[in-house]
Amino acid sequence: MVVEQMAGNLIQGLVLGAVYGMATMGLSLIFGVLKVVNVGHGAFIMVGAFIALLLFNTLGINPVLAVPLAFLFGLGLGLLFYYSVMQRLIKAPELATLLATFSLGLLLQEVVKLLFGSEYRGYNWAVGKIDLGITVLPMSKLYACAGSALIAVLLYLWFNKTRAGSAMRSVVEDSEGARVCGVNVGAAYALSFSLGIGLTVASGVLLTMFIPVGINPYMGGHYTLKAFVIAVLGGLASPYGAFFGGLVFGLLENGSYTLFALIPGVEPFALTRFFSFLMLLIILLIRPTGLLSEKRT
Amino acid sequence: MNLRVFKRLMLIVAAVGFVLIGCQKPESKAPEKKAETAAEKTAAAPDKPAAGLDKILIGHPACLSGKYAKAGEQAVGGIKAALDWVNNTYGGVTLGGRKVPLEYIYYDCESAKEAVTSLIGRLAMSDKVHVVFSPYSSGLTLRGAPVTEANKILYMDHGGASNAIFRQGFKYIVQTIGPATSYHQGTLNMIKATDPAAKKVALAYEDSEFAKMVMEGAREHARKLGFEIVFERTYPKGVTDLTPLLSALKASNPDFILGGGHFEDGQLFNRQMADLGIDTKALSLIAAATLPAFYEALTNMAEGVMGPSHWEYGVKYSEREAKKVGLQWIGPSQDEFVALFKKAVGKEMIPDYHAAEAAAQVLAYTLAVEKANSVEVDPVRAALGDLTFMSFYGGWDVDDTGMQVGHTMVDVQWQNGERVIVWPPEAQTGKPVYPMPTFAEKAQGKKAIAGM
Repeated sequence: MVVEQMAGNLIQGLVLGAVYGMATMGLSLIFGVLKVVNVGHGAFIMVGAFIALLLFNTLGINPVLAVPLAFLFGLGLGLLFYYSVMQRLIKAPELATLLATFSLGLLLQEVVKLLFGSEYRGYNWAVGKIDLGITVLPMSKLYACAGSALIAVLLYLWFNKTRAGSAMRSVVEDSEGARVCGVNVGAAYALSFSLGIGLTVASGVLLTMFIPVGINPYMGGHYTLKAFVIAVLGGLASPYGAFFGGLVFGLLENGSYTLFALIPGVEPFALTRFFSFLMLLIILLIRPTGLLSEKRT
Repeated sequence: MNLRVFKRLMLIVAAVGFVLIGCQKPESKAPEKKAETAAEKTAAAPDKPAAGLDKILIGHPACLSGKYAKAGEQAVGGIKAALDWVNNTYGGVTLGGRKVPLEYIYYDCESAKEAVTSLIGRLAMSDKVHVVFSPYSSGLTLRGAPVTEANKILYMDHGGASNAIFRQGFKYIVQTIGPATSYHQGTLNMIKATDPAAKKVALAYEDSEFAKMVMEGAREHARKLGFEIVFERTYPKGVTDLTPLLSALKASNPDFILGGGHFEDGQLFNRQMADLGIDTKALSLIAAATLPAFYEALTNMAEGVMGPSHWEYGVKYSEREAKKVGLQWIGPSQDEFVALFKKAVGKEMIPDYHAAEAAAQVLAYTLAVEKANSVEVDPVRAALGDLTFMSFYGGWDVDDTGMQVGHTMVDVQWQNGERVIVWPPEAQTGKPVYPMPTFAEKAQGKKAIAGM
């Protein structure tokens, strides 16, 4: 029974971890290229969740189709915020960019609250389930997991196989050198920021495919903390590292529950968080730059 | 980013926060200066009869944003509706032979503990209110209590149900919402009466002051009724995935489940039970299940789910009912309250129990001030201790600690998209659907419809 529960929880953790990873890639990308820590990260996830909700509830568009639409919306939002706010702050001290992204997050929360209210909302996209015997997986979760993995692969290919991706990597390595070689560094920054925001907004849609309830203007806060942990776990500047960091985090969080439940008088959920953060500390002690830090963008 | 930069950032964020809180305008009908003048008169002559008082000030750190914004909006609407009734229908509070209007000053506490304490300090020292209404939730209410005690101000609790609030020895706190330990008693009584064969109960709830207290009462009552607790686990606040807990719960094969904590986790609980195909005869979730947003988010998956509620539209409290049980009646009828609430919030919004209990608190304070013929804290607190009455919200009575003991809760169940009061029998607007449909049946569109 315990082994079955453990196996079931690990499968659930892997699926959830892929979505966590996807939800962190944007954060890592923006930090990797611009050296900006987006503390308003969760608010962009929330925007994606609202896009999924609205498209489903008002137009009947299923969340899979909402992913590219949310990505495009996020790209636009990223460009708007980059040229209106972030561009002026790229060379400013870290505090300025931290406060700016914090403010953008608050702004988004309050605008969404003003438009849609503060109720906890949700939608019901029933596309069946797979009963694996040891656990049951709704197809919507599998689509979210597959979508996250696909986006991670596409991002990898884009970075490594396209001129724009190479240009961006050159900016990460040495922005002055890249400029001398003819790379438009300003455009690379704008593209990175908007791409990061696009990925984050799209991840909000994928998260609702995993958990289609609790959609609220303030929902992002829970994911911001997790995203920071996962980003550090995977190597803060590495989007692919973030994806694998998400998988590790999901497995640790869900897998450890079954083990802690065996200890009498212990509340396992309280310890799973402790365990996840303990593992983070241990990994950072062994590899201070994160799990996949050598694979720079 | 090094530690120095991080410290600087925190300092700037804290400074900006303080400035923003400081710059908030009180959302009151009257200018702040006027409110201060009235209060200063009382403060300057504490032993003088309150005959000169031109208004009674109610202060409130309301949760208008943040995680409790929904409950906060309801509470503010309920308070405004009750104020409207007291000032315009009742004619004001009778004090020293005159009718004195109530005035309401509230600030957004953003559902944050730090803001609650600073705003209560501001209401007490700067606005000089006569009474402070608590914010929503047990945690926030408890946070504010030491500040009202220190300022010797009456603190009326309509949003904090935890019994722990009344175990701290606070002198000036008085509760209108029912105590948390009574939440699931009705549910357990209903299942005992409906299905004597049901024996196994699972408890799964948020690791919060409120939910722990609810389950303390449920555990005790379940044992008294002969139920066996086959599973009991908590989950942290802000949880985003309950799958591991629910998988373990499924293995314990309970007859029914009592769970939840607040809105967000309640939705998640129900949703992931559906995902994992965990079918039980009954599911009762605190806080979340009674709200319309619960059904809107979960649609058919919410069919048959129950929840305890302090008040629901349809309860049968009236002036006649009050006479029957020998209680004083005050306040609008149920339908009048709904109309006043809609006028107060300015939209077609149905009040829920958060609004009703906040409104009932205004009525309790009104009666207590009249009984004490004073706005001074000690006489009003003593009057509240002796007060018993009935309003559209139901009965009202407190024990020596200030904890509510006169109010009875009801249990509601989602049936065919509607909230139906299923327990206690004397308040029923419909029979309970037991067992509730399975999640597979609900996925096929089956509704919980009682065969009358």
